[in-house]
Amino acid sequence: MSHDRTHHAHIATGKGDPQCFKGTAGPAKFKAGDKVRIKNMPDIFYTRTMMYTRGAVGEVAVATHESPVPEDEAWGHVDKSEWFYIVRFRQQDLWPEYPVAFPNDTLQTEFSERWLEAV
Amino acid sequence: MSNDHDHDHAHGHRPPAPMVEEISDFEALEIAVRELSIEKGLFTAEDHRRFTEFAEHIGPTPAARMVAKAWLDPEYKKLCLTDAIKASFAVGVDWLNPTGFGTPSDYTDLRVLEDTPTRHHVVVCTLCSCYPRPILGFQPEWYRTPNYRRRLVRWPRQVLAEFGLSLPAEVEVRVEDSNQKCRFIVMPVRPAGTDGWTEDQLTEIVTRDCLIGVALPKPGKTSNIKLPVHHAVNPAHPH
Amino acid sequence: MSSTTREEVLRHLTAVAELQPPVQKTGKAPYPSDMTHELFRAYTRSPHDVGGEYDIPCDWSDEEPEAWGYRAYVTTEVLAWRGVWCAEERRRMQNVDLGTTQYLGLPYYGRWLLSAARILVDKEHVTLTELINKIDEVKRRHEPR
Repeated sequence: MSHDRTHHAHIATGKGDPQCFKGTAGPAKFKAGDKVRIKNMPDIFYTRTMMYTRGAVGEVAVATHESPVPEDEAWGHVDKSEWFYIVRFRQQDLWPEYPVAFPNDTLQTEFSERWLEAV
Repeated sequence: MSNDHDHDHAHGHRPPAPMVEEISDFEALEIAVRELSIEKGLFTAEDHRRFTEFAEHIGPTPAARMVAKAWLDPEYKKLCLTDAIKASFAVGVDWLNPTGFGTPSDYTDLRVLEDTPTRHHVVVCTLCSCYPRPILGFQPEWYRTPNYRRRLVRWPRQVLAEFGLSLPAEVEVRVEDSNQKCRFIVMPVRPAGTDGWTEDQLTEIVTRDCLIGVALPKPGKTSNIKLPVHHAVNPAHPH
Repeated sequence: MSSTTREEVLRHLTAVAELQPPVQKTGKAPYPSDMTHELFRAYTRSPHDVGGEYDIPCDWSDEEPEAWGYRAYVTTEVLAWRGVWCAEERRRMQNVDLGTTQYLGLPYYGRWLLSAARILVDKEHVTLTELINKIDEVKRRHEPR
């Protein structure tokens, strides 16, 4: 199994990662303030989209960077990239028993674009 | 490499010493993997030594100093919030070290989470233990535990209370689940009682616990929460 | 020496019997018709995805890492530095591929180390025979005299 072990050093030296993937994902589909739902896609073998977020509705806080998605990067594939976003949720919306005494609590975490659908 | 300087050895737990001078399965595997990697030309002993040296010199002080500088300089604070990688240079951290493209596990997208009087951040990586090592050092062991990772996202105030931190109900507790390439530190609100303090004095009270978000900075509080320590059989730095 | 090995074998057979699957069906695999969608997702879950699971308040503690643990950490990072793998491949192998039992049962840096050993074999830098022989050689070097 041959693969170019110098590839990442070539593309990322002096830039960093994820900076080395800047410009490779095309236009971002979402922007800060957009309301999104987390898709419940099949996640056989590997996922970094936590189960506790599936089906939840949140708001895009910021588009962070472009990068290969973990589903691909986990097998060393870095030829395609997607935009990533921090999405913010109300804790009241994530957990049925979250105390109403704490109405303002939130949670935010990051998703690649494929996991988000507009609401 | 130490996680912090506050190990309370008097209350530590020591595992029983082995009966004979032998190595564990893990020690044998570690040697085997390293020697094979070098024999097969995957990396050199010098590579291993250089990265070890990098890892031995990281710790929480640069992140603490970043916060202290931000408290004293509104322009620097703005930089921390818009380009934390660039802001890191001012505290001696070049995120591209030691490889020239960053550390493989920590990447190069640091974000600073700004606390306000009505918003408090706390960081977890529910999937593993992602942590901004180049500016904060190694994670405490509790940060890696399934227990912290299970509970912080769903019962944050209960977990924070166990660390001695209780916040008013109307304050927004914002949990950051660090699950991709971004890395996070918390910038707490500058506490009362620090008027006229120097950068060094302020740096001292921004502990690692404050930078994760399980503690708030306080005048006079210069160490992390005191916890019992399980000691290693063969630690990296024998005491 | 052989009685020590036999004792180890018998202890091993007892220990592995204590590692049970989440749903106990004695002696055989479940029928497909017994497999609900919930069970399918539970079995095929990524073990590292623990956020929101129930757990009890615990006594927080800290741990002084073993020297081998830090060396293993350095090895995994240097393997990535020199392009053998990237961190995401490591996370998959270290936190998901090995399954829930090993994920919860092995020391933290033990999983880092196992994934480093695994990548050498998976990417065919080393055959399993070479790895086994090297482990054996290292153990013999450290045998008490």
